[in-house]
Amino acid sequence: MLRIQEHPILGSTEERRLVTFTLDGRELTGYEGEPIAAALKAAGVMVHRYTAKQHKPRGIFCAIGRCTDCVMIVDGTPNVRTCITPLREGMRVQTQYGVSAQPYQEIRRCNKNGEI
Amino acid sequence: MERYDLVVVGAGPSGLSAAIEAAKCGLTVVVFDENSRPGGQLFKQIHKFFGSKEHNAKIRGFRIGENLLKEASACGVKVILNATVIGLFRQREVTVRIGNEIVHVKGDAILIATGASENMVPFPGWTLPGVIGAGAAQTMMNLHHIKPGKRILMLGTGNVGLVVSYQLLQAGCELAALVDAAPRVGGYGVHAAKVARCSVPFYLSHTIVRAEGEEFVTGVVIAEVDHSFKPIPGTEKHFEVDTICLAVGLSPMSQLCKMAGCEMTQAPTGYAPVCDKTGQTSLPGVYVAGDVSGIEEASSAMIEGRIAGAAVAERLGFLGAAERDERLKQYEAALSSLRKGMFAPENRGKAPKKTEEGLPISMNLLQKGYMDEAELEAYPGMIHMPGLHPVIECTQNIPCNPCQDACPRGCIKIGADLTALPSVDVSKSCSGCGMCVASCSGQAIFLVNEDVGEGFAEVTMPYEFLPLPRPGERGMALDRSGTPVCPCEVVSLRSAPAFDQTNLLTIRVPAQMAGRARQYRVGGAV
Amino acid sequence: MSKLYSRNEDIGEFVPAPDDDLIICRCEEITKGEIRRAVHDGMRTITEVRRFLRAGMGLCQGQTCGRLVQGIISRELNMQPANLTPAPSRAPMRPIEMYVLGDEKEGGVPND
Repeated sequence: MLRIQEHPILGSTEERRLVTFTLDGRELTGYEGEPIAAALKAAGVMVHRYTAKQHKPRGIFCAIGRCTDCVMIVDGTPNVRTCITPLREGMRVQTQYGVSAQPYQEIRRCNKNGEI
Repeated sequence: MERYDLVVVGAGPSGLSAAIEAAKCGLTVVVFDENSRPGGQLFKQIHKFFGSKEHNAKIRGFRIGENLLKEASACGVKVILNATVIGLFRQREVTVRIGNEIVHVKGDAILIATGASENMVPFPGWTLPGVIGAGAAQTMMNLHHIKPGKRILMLGTGNVGLVVSYQLLQAGCELAALVDAAPRVGGYGVHAAKVARCSVPFYLSHTIVRAEGEEFVTGVVIAEVDHSFKPIPGTEKHFEVDTICLAVGLSPMSQLCKMAGCEMTQAPTGYAPVCDKTGQTSLPGVYVAGDVSGIEEASSAMIEGRIAGAAVAERLGFLGAAERDERLKQYEAALSSLRKGMFAPENRGKAPKKTEEGLPISMNLLQKGYMDEAELEAYPGMIHMPGLHPVIECTQNIPCNPCQDACPRGCIKIGADLTALPSVDVSKSCSGCGMCVASCSGQAIFLVNEDVGEGFAEVTMPYEFLPLPRPGERGMALDRSGTPVCPCEVVSLRSAPAFDQTNLLTIRVPAQMAGRARQYRVGGAV
Repeated sequence: MSKLYSRNEDIGEFVPAPDDDLIICRCEEITKGEIRRAVHDGMRTITEVRRFLRAGMGLCQGQTCGRLVQGIISRELNMQPANLTPAPSRAPMRPIEMYVLGDEKEGGVPND
């Protein structure tokens, strides 16, 4: 469990509304208004996207909207910085592949000559 | 186009302080911040600050932030959040993105208080999810109440690395190791000591060789480095961790200054605008304050903000020159007292061998994060006497003196020099109130009674972890390295509003452990 | 700072290094080897390397890799990083959608 229920200095987290959202169609819950990235982290999701060139996984890196590593497709819009975008009820979050929601078909990757 | 007397970019400690100072002189001030909350990094700082009263010493960062916001709102400062300044142009015209609109605003003066951004260091696997900046860790745990990971390795032993490490422990994370390529701990010794006594091993002269994992971090390999910072084959060490945290320094976020056309310079802490003592850049009416003009602490950033605010007020005719000079004199004195000691800007990169008092600096502290009992004996805060007395394990000259003000009986003395090491006046008797323990931002003060009878001693220590131990409970006493030294019994746990969340834990240990027991671990397991 | 760099200076042949495949620019996935190679191919300033490789030209605009790229280029040129002029800063300072940037309206700061 990654949520901190009680903190020695900050005390207990204030009451927030639990909302439902989806990640790649899978239903998850998080607190309204917290960053999408925080809700994903609490749900154990590490990979936010796969890069365009090398198809490598990326997740949270700076958590303050600077590095743009944590971008995902949110309600159809790609490149949304999930670390600074507040979670709303019913949000549709998708893992981003390049800038698309279409997972890479690694087998179909072509070689240098453009052949499949 | 809307016009303000002063437009401030960034609602962090320096930006808010400048806005407050200017607004109090009668200027109309607007502060833009791209974040959804004001306060910059202050609200992630849950530790008590160093300094003296005038620097808000012994107050936790987030409370300083709350006070600044209250003050700003009371004097009519308009703080606009989710407002990203995207450009600064000629004639002090600023473009701001607010919502889905670009708004143009003009200021008779502009203050750029954009702060800093984190430096990063590449290594194989550094793009894997699970490798994060130290700021990200702070944001996640202290703002969003999410642990960044379960088991973490920290790279960097500067104050950011040390402070965030301790905060990770407070949040309930496990810390596998603290690693730094430098041969010495970069941050304050007291910050290192409080992490070390929680059993976190320090690996100085080590670096990360690679992060392991396919989809996310599953482990990390570190190795010792030679004098040219190259890993030495055969010295590799492996840790199973799910998170690697990078705290390898900060750089001024000065892009806006550069774009505006300010003269820039390559300062020791990064690329920063050239400015005078008041923060005035080469562009008339464009000022800078805080980390953007050179990396320092939030405490200095707040004073720099006040200075810039007063300077702007004078420039625009809201403050007489004499009154401005009076204020600047006061602020500059406060600032220069913070810039003294071993960690002063002019000592950056140097390694003093002796304190101002001529005492040898402990190499153990700099290499392992903690001092030997024998080494400590040389320091004026280490005393032995019958009955209850404070023991002050503060061994570096840092600008801080709340302990002196905290003792109602005057047992603790620092003197007029803020960086002097605290000493204990053995002619005065300690009441055991514990105010010194709670007031020490470095958590370096303990109350010790070396003989409470039947061969036992009692040690009172600052305790900022959960669950809170209960009187009568039995646990383990740890020494300064975090090694369990003996079972112990909890005598009392005191909490009071004046302690500000620092609990005072008193444990009973065998008398010979009075000088060694410095941390408590719940449960008896070694 | 900003001192003119002689393009005729011989910096030797490009020598492959074991860490050449290390990603430096995370956004555009540019490696250390590509940056080093670009210097030997004639890109002698940060701006040139940016334009040639797109290092520091991605979504984050070089906020993460700026200093790293500066360090790699200067080492390759055998000069101090401080003597290499950082890339220019331009508006917009943050990523921004074209429909927002292109749709400027007359308006003031909203009152809340």
